[in-house]
Amino acid sequence: NKVSSFKIKLENGGFLEGLVRGFKNGISKEDYRHLTQCDTLEDLKLHLQGTGYGHFLANEPSPLTVSVIDEKLREKLVIEFEYIRNHAYKDLATFLDFIKYSYMIDNIILLITGTLHQRQLSELLPKCHPLGIFDQMETVTIASTTADLYNAILVDSPLAPFFKECISEEDLNEMNIEIIRNTLYKAYLEAFYDWCQQKGGATADVMCEILAFEADRRSIIITINSFGTELTKEDRAKLYPRRGKLYPDGLLELSKADEYEAVKRVSELYAEYKPLFDGTGNNPGDKTLEDKFFEHEVTLNVNSFMQQFQYGVFYSYVKLKEQECRNIIWIAECIAQRHRAKIDSYIPIM
Amino acid sequence: QSLFKMGSLFRSEEMCLAQLYLQSEAAFACVSELGELGLAQFRDLNPDVNAFQRKFVNEVRRCDDMERKLRFLEKEVKKDNLAIDDTDIITSKTDYRESFRVRTTEETVGLYNIYRERGKTHIQESLTASAQYNLVVYNISFIIFVAGVLMRDKISAFERVIWRACRGNVFLRYTEIEAELEDPHTGDKVNKYVFIVFFQGDQLKSRIKKICTGFRATLYPCPETPQERREIALGVMTRIEDLQTVLNQTADHRRMVLSQVALNIRVWLIKVRKIKAIYHTLNLFNKCLIAECWCPVVDIDRIQLALRRGTELSGSSVPSIMQQMQTKENPPTYNQTDKFTSGFQAIIDAFGVSNYREVNPAPFTIITFPFLFAVMFGDMGHGLLMFLFALYLVLKENRYMKHKPEDEIFKMMFDGRYLILLMGLFSIYTGFLYNECFSRSINIFGTSWNVRAMNFTLKNQHLTLDPNKPGVFRGYPYFYGIDPIWQSAENKITVQNSYKMKNAVLMGFAQMIFGLSLAFCNRRHFKDKLTLYCELLPQLLFLCALIGYLCMCILYKWSVWTVAQSNTAPSLLIGLIDMYMLTDPKSNNRVPLYTGQYQVQIFLVIVTVLCVPWMFLSKPYILYKRSKQKKGVPGGLDSQSDDDVAILHHENNDANYGKQEPESFDMSEVIIYQAIHTIEFCLSCISHTASYLRLWALSLAHSELSEVLWSMVMHTGLATSGTSGAILSFFVFWFFSSLTVSILLVMEGLSAFLHAIRLHWVEFQSKFYKGEGYIFSPFSFTLIVEGKV
Repeated sequence: NKVSSFKIKLENGGFLEGLVRGFKNGISKEDYRHLTQCDTLEDLKLHLQGTGYGHFLANEPSPLTVSVIDEKLREKLVIEFEYIRNHAYKDLATFLDFIKYSYMIDNIILLITGTLHQRQLSELLPKCHPLGIFDQMETVTIASTTADLYNAILVDSPLAPFFKECISEEDLNEMNIEIIRNTLYKAYLEAFYDWCQQKGGATADVMCEILAFEADRRSIIITINSFGTELTKEDRAKLYPRRGKLYPDGLLELSKADEYEAVKRVSELYAEYKPLFDGTGNNPGDKTLEDKFFEHEVTLNVNSFMQQFQYGVFYSYVKLKEQECRNIIWIAECIAQRHRAKIDSYIPIM
Repeated sequence: QSLFKMGSLFRSEEMCLAQLYLQSEAAFACVSELGELGLAQFRDLNPDVNAFQRKFVNEVRRCDDMERKLRFLEKEVKKDNLAIDDTDIITSKTDYRESFRVRTTEETVGLYNIYRERGKTHIQESLTASAQYNLVVYNISFIIFVAGVLMRDKISAFERVIWRACRGNVFLRYTEIEAELEDPHTGDKVNKYVFIVFFQGDQLKSRIKKICTGFRATLYPCPETPQERREIALGVMTRIEDLQTVLNQTADHRRMVLSQVALNIRVWLIKVRKIKAIYHTLNLFNKCLIAECWCPVVDIDRIQLALRRGTELSGSSVPSIMQQMQTKENPPTYNQTDKFTSGFQAIIDAFGVSNYREVNPAPFTIITFPFLFAVMFGDMGHGLLMFLFALYLVLKENRYMKHKPEDEIFKMMFDGRYLILLMGLFSIYTGFLYNECFSRSINIFGTSWNVRAMNFTLKNQHLTLDPNKPGVFRGYPYFYGIDPIWQSAENKITVQNSYKMKNAVLMGFAQMIFGLSLAFCNRRHFKDKLTLYCELLPQLLFLCALIGYLCMCILYKWSVWTVAQSNTAPSLLIGLIDMYMLTDPKSNNRVPLYTGQYQVQIFLVIVTVLCVPWMFLSKPYILYKRSKQKKGVPGGLDSQSDDDVAILHHENNDANYGKQEPESFDMSEVIIYQAIHTIEFCLSCISHTASYLRLWALSLAHSELSEVLWSMVMHTGLATSGTSGAILSFFVFWFFSSLTVSILLVMEGLSAFLHAIRLHWVEFQSKFYKGEGYIFSPFSFTLIVEGKV
């Protein structure tokens, strides 16, 4: 019986899981130390050749720039992800699509914001994440109201179900866009969470933990960012994703908060989040809350690799790779701008 | 020369650590010469320095850049389907200046590429435009329209978005452009649609234009009257023609340059790779270009010659100096191999690289491996097929050497072609002994059994040949191998089993004793008298008294006991049990094998039992004594060795060599180690002998399988008579032959191969082989160019 269940699991993405576990091996702690010692980007390239990244920069002419490295890193991730996506079917395909949706949301918001500021489409497109590209994406610039956006463009896209809550006849403005972004994210996270829960098993165990944290992080950050803006408390409460550990009591308390200390008080009631608020601050040498969140996310994602035969590894793989790319870019930026004081504040992946 | 090589295969080459003092202007040339020679393994003298902080990092980077450019050129050449000339890739010397030329060539090609791209873009635009002009025939003048081209896969989404965004107030027509267009950036073929959208009003116009840009459609202005359109179409036509000529010219030019490149690209690539390797090696040297390398002692002259040549080539007046150094470190293991021995050496190295100057089992494996394989695989027919296959590989080896086979499995077989050749040859030999060819026996010399003497008539189905009856056995055995008459005997398997089983034990004992004698060679060579007398000698006695005596009994019974006595012959197994129960065979009314058996056996048992404490206790005791003696003379020996170390320090200016401290003596560790070894050896004497029985088991399995295949498949075809029988035989033969190849040759062959490997690695090599060395990996251009490093 055990063998047969093993076989079923293998058929259902076991090969891809093995692949992902192989892709995961990127840069070790030792490598990070070496990278931070590089003097120029060429050195960085030389050293990256010795890591799991291999010769991904080999065909780039000198001089290197940070943007080229960024582009190539992203390209590598996208190639790996698309390979997995192309070989996946059934549930795993849906799961991988869910991962892509978050990038789609980011891209749409980026394009709308860009159009509002009278930027050219050709200027905006390279900034879009390639994982979040879909057919109708580039036409979002014609919409002037959210209803327009939905009826003309997004109704055909995979994002349509998430969009239902934010349809209104109001014109698009910056406030509006932020609300759209957060409502979309809220709907997306809730849908993703529910899907994983329904999937059950180890996938639910791992993913619900990660998504719950993601939801709570969004709620906390929305609250902190809303101070001093015209967003009302009622509107703010509507943006909280209702799947995290803070739901329902914590979110109720959060919706009443009107200063940083209040947020901190609420969060400290939860054992997971208390250490994140300890020792944060804006003083030099202190870690920012954001970094702490990133660190916690990394821990969760690394833990997801501890369990087998579940989809969490795919999500974690993407997130960890992204973090790794961010780290490399951070180090590369520090090297390029000769600003070495903060070079060590990347977030290591265990 | 070949004799010398054989000798070197027995033990690895003698190595020495040498220091090279290179002049900075001559270093490059010298290292290049050494790379051509491929006999020196350089040590990293700056292990703490990062890759990018080394001395020649800029040069390495330049080589990387050059490689990138060459790869670009190679890609371009491949794109144009030009044949790359790689017949003459053996470049003798590395001339650095020459590679600068590559840069200019690359720039020209890059330039042409850009020209070409531009040309293509123009042409494509024009082509699509003209195609579209031809399409727009019906025109309603008071309605505004926008026309353009779009990628095929986007058209349905485009249609839906247009419809929704304009709330159905548009009219869209599209049609496919039949000619495949080329994407100017990537050069891929793409399919496109030309479309036209009719609508009213300016507001819709801006909206539609935005959608078009969103879908990356290319829009073309189109005049409203037919005359104007015709004029534009004509203009476009002429433009296309112009561009086509320009394009053709550039393409011609490009082709010319690229065909030049194609001739040389391999040579350039190899050159750059060599130069890069040289700089990587130079990076291993210390700041003053002092290098340290391991090299075979016999080749020191050649290395010195190479250094001198390098110095001359660079025109340096100061010679480069090579100097041998004393060291306590273990040198690398270097076994010189050729194409014949490399396959066998690979089997040994796969288990573990031998310690420095330890006896290398590879030369013996050349014979014992195919032999043991063949014992398990004995069949003339199968052996012949295997032999012919390997012979084909060997005869075609020059061709395959040039064009390396891509297939990994085939490559593995190709590397082991001489091994397979010998395996086939030996299988033919053992097949002769077993008298089996595709499981059939061949009667060449005439059987030694006489059926007529048993009064055989056609009436009786079964007939027992009794050798005791006069005239049934002719008095002399079948001349060579097993008598073919056994083929028809019912008790063939029983008789052969007993025979093969005993053979397996005999061969096993022979190989194990041989292994112990190699251990003796090792002890002699390393002057390790302690282990020789306290470990090896009791081991030898133990094995001989236990298994050797059994083998003696087998041989004795075979040669002395005759058919007439077969009813009273004693069982060897019972005899062995009796021996260790210390019972006299006479007391149980058993016939002794020979007179005085009991006394001999008692003696042997005593020897066996005595060997165990001898193995276990003597060595730790003597070591203990020695350590006590050492302690008794405080500082005597130690200070001596300290002095040595100090001198070495002085000579080498390097702290690395004083590392190996005199070992501290730990009695409990020694005892535990010795106990484990003793127990392991005693048990392994039995278990290894039993393990050799696989020789019998696999040989039985092989002959039974081929028997089954013959009688179940081929026999049915041959047994049918008439025309139908001929046709059936024809088809059955294909079935039979494919099964023979797939099951008997491939599967059985693999399994016999595996068991032969195991017998060598475990049963044979455990007797003498340490296998804890590390392999000599010299800095060699041939290895680098072949991509083996």
